[in-house]
Amino acid sequence: MGNSHSDTITHDVIIVGAGLAGSWAAMVAAEHGVRDVAVLSKLHPLRSHSGAAQGGIAAALNNVRPVADTGPRGPLEPVPDSAEPPDSWELHMFDTIKGSDWLGDQDAIEIMVREAPEIIYAYEHMGCVFSRLPDGRIAQRRFGGHSAPRANYSKDYTGHVLLHTIYEQALRHGVKFYDEWYCLDLIVEDNVCRGLVALEILTGKVYTMRAKAVMFGTGGYGRAYKITSNAFANTGDGVAIAYRAGVPLMDMEFVQFHPTGLYRHGILMSEACRGEGGYLVNNEGERFMRAYAPDKMELAPRDLVSRSEQTEIDAGRGVGPDGEGIHLDLRHLGREKILSRLPQIRELAIDFVGVDPIDDPIPIQPTAHYSMGGIPTDVEGQVIVDAAGTPMTGFYAAGECACVSVHGANRLGTNSLLEASLFGRRAGRSMAEFVTGGAPLAPVGGDPATQNHRRLQALLDRQGDISVDKIARDLKQTMTDQCGIFRDESGLTAALDKVRALQRRFQDARTMDKGSRFNTDLLNTLETEHLLTFSEVIVAGALARKESRGAHSRRDHPKRQDDQWMKHTLAKYQGSAAGPELSYKPVYIDWDRYPPQERKY
Amino acid sequence: MPTERATIRVQRYNPDLDAKPYQQEFTITPRRDTTILDALHMIKAEQDGSLTFRRSCRHAICGSCAMNVNGRNRLVCNTPLSDVVDGDGRVSIKPLPYLPIVKDLVVDRSAFWRQYLRVKPWLLPPDDVPEHEYRVSPEEVEALNSAETCIMCGACYSACQVVGMNKDYIGPHALLKAFLRVIDPRDTQPSERLADLKGYDGVYRCHTIFNCIDACPKGLDPTRAIESLRKMAQKRLDFEAQRSERQRHLHRAVPVHGGD
Repeated sequence: MGNSHSDTITHDVIIVGAGLAGSWAAMVAAEHGVRDVAVLSKLHPLRSHSGAAQGGIAAALNNVRPVADTGPRGPLEPVPDSAEPPDSWELHMFDTIKGSDWLGDQDAIEIMVREAPEIIYAYEHMGCVFSRLPDGRIAQRRFGGHSAPRANYSKDYTGHVLLHTIYEQALRHGVKFYDEWYCLDLIVEDNVCRGLVALEILTGKVYTMRAKAVMFGTGGYGRAYKITSNAFANTGDGVAIAYRAGVPLMDMEFVQFHPTGLYRHGILMSEACRGEGGYLVNNEGERFMRAYAPDKMELAPRDLVSRSEQTEIDAGRGVGPDGEGIHLDLRHLGREKILSRLPQIRELAIDFVGVDPIDDPIPIQPTAHYSMGGIPTDVEGQVIVDAAGTPMTGFYAAGECACVSVHGANRLGTNSLLEASLFGRRAGRSMAEFVTGGAPLAPVGGDPATQNHRRLQALLDRQGDISVDKIARDLKQTMTDQCGIFRDESGLTAALDKVRALQRRFQDARTMDKGSRFNTDLLNTLETEHLLTFSEVIVAGALARKESRGAHSRRDHPKRQDDQWMKHTLAKYQGSAAGPELSYKPVYIDWDRYPPQERKY
Repeated sequence: MPTERATIRVQRYNPDLDAKPYQQEFTITPRRDTTILDALHMIKAEQDGSLTFRRSCRHAICGSCAMNVNGRNRLVCNTPLSDVVDGDGRVSIKPLPYLPIVKDLVVDRSAFWRQYLRVKPWLLPPDDVPEHEYRVSPEEVEALNSAETCIMCGACYSACQVVGMNKDYIGPHALLKAFLRVIDPRDTQPSERLADLKGYDGVYRCHTIFNCIDACPKGLDPTRAIESLRKMAQKRLDFEAQRSERQRHLHRAVPVHGGD
């Protein structure tokens, strides 16, 4: 890289990531009296992956209800004004706890479900275009694992309208956005976060950025897998950076596989397809969910449906040339419903696999989708560094990169947009309180920008001849084969060795582009380093957890073991040579109201 | 795929190294379902890591990857290579036209975003916030849908000949966004917006060449939105009165007519 110039930029609050969590936090911090709020994104903010969410955002608004006596898949009708509300936050809470397989912290879940309607109305008042009932209320649909129709939606591009709405409102509140800036490092001394180091992608310049409060809303880590619904950008950068800076990662072994990724591409086919009544069918034309979840059928939670699909595939009942697919059949919904409710799904199926869902079933397969684990925080978005809840002063996180934990071992569909928005808002408020309450700009020792610039230069100067892309591909194959939907001891042990071997090989990996201007090859290298860093934590956590719970399914330990394993994993970085140090933290359970039960659908 | 191999002709330009843009050819072996974006990734991973382009979601919702393919603006992520190669398996990929080149296929969209900001893309809602949602009819939502699915990819903007001649023109993307706000029954300043859009670089600059419609990967129709804005701007005061009347009912259920 041609420059060695470093400079310092200062803001009251700096947020990394401009999706729903980051943009909400920014807008709210600005609204609550912080004058100088900045958001960094490695993309343009409107490219954030929140915008790819499709089916809906959960809240018990009580706008629709099932028509009486028509069963769990019958038609829905508007709730008349005079009627008893059929849904409640209590039901939403129970569904979320059960979905989480009793690993979600129930105090955090209660906050989320109680504040959920407020978030939906706030979006609506800011201009979000929701689909509507005839009387003008927001329309709602069914979703997996929810016992009432409480997914509030905009056709099948809900995330898109939410993201554009909140970004626009953040702009309206004077938030400064650094588009296409990449966070390289967090500056932490004495457990106080003092700022971060960032790369201006356009110029290749590296800056020290100081702030009274820093927040990560950097998204998930699905790119560690070969078949994923995630964007290329979802490389878990924030998770890896926080880990290296001394924050233990929580529950990283819980990775959700979405049941309906487009065959071979992994592109999301919304759960709304099944919420609207779609079927899953094996190569014998059978709706096989009957055998796995006789009550909920296709609307069982994602972990269960993905495992059922994989079981069908492994038994030779898959579809497609290699038998690795399942059919998602929407034909009986009819042309009108598909065009009005699922227009994006139809276009994607036509564009990518040449199937029009009006005429033919869509080939799909499970796809790595959501990261339940991440940076541990309290319910105010404050990052914590141990089981006792010790805060890292000045550091906040929200959204998919964070682990509050409301999703526990398995997230319910439509709860992620809710979580990102709601805990983003809470983090924004608590940063505002912290900053307006007189938080100092903590001093920064040394020259972090120059230090990081040297690190980048060293990466560029490497003379090795191993392709970064090859290492990333090997990693994704390993994670898919040995740390995927089903896991066991021998596979995980082999995976851990393989990930560590790849970490060593990475030391000889070559970045081909040596320039400073818009060097996406260098970004790929850094992102691959992040994948290698946190994948080790996923595998180590999965190997240690000798039980099956939610999305973590061990063939050699098929039962949930509450007596030993109803606890969160914390994985602490111990330098690049050693593996993570694992410790555990109790789950917050309200034993009177929501004691653990067997999880059946 | 007419041939087993495909020749991808890419415009290269790094202002730090090159005097001017040049075309470079890469040969790859695509699969049946390889997209243009897949082809660019194959080149970047295996042949030249310095080949530079933007991408993220790879399913036509994030708006990163609009480029000029065989002379037409489109998203490269949802376009199969087999749709665009000629009989010899060749395709030409260039950055979006009319915009400064940052590097290879990456363009500087700052003029595009400036115009977006200029129309105040955010809703300006009423002060009297209801406890629940404002009531908006399904028909009103249907009209909003005709603009809200814009992903701000820039394909229309950089296909617009008026933009090519005059960077002060607001442009189809920002006018479509303005249209979304003007027709939203919840927006309180449609009249002020229309007054701004009537200005010299606004709705009257559109020459109805329809390039924006051809270019839009989401099937939207900015030209029609601009024409509607023109009509509304002409009857701005009537429109303002209608909006005030409509907003008196935002808290009430939309009347539902029986019979269906």
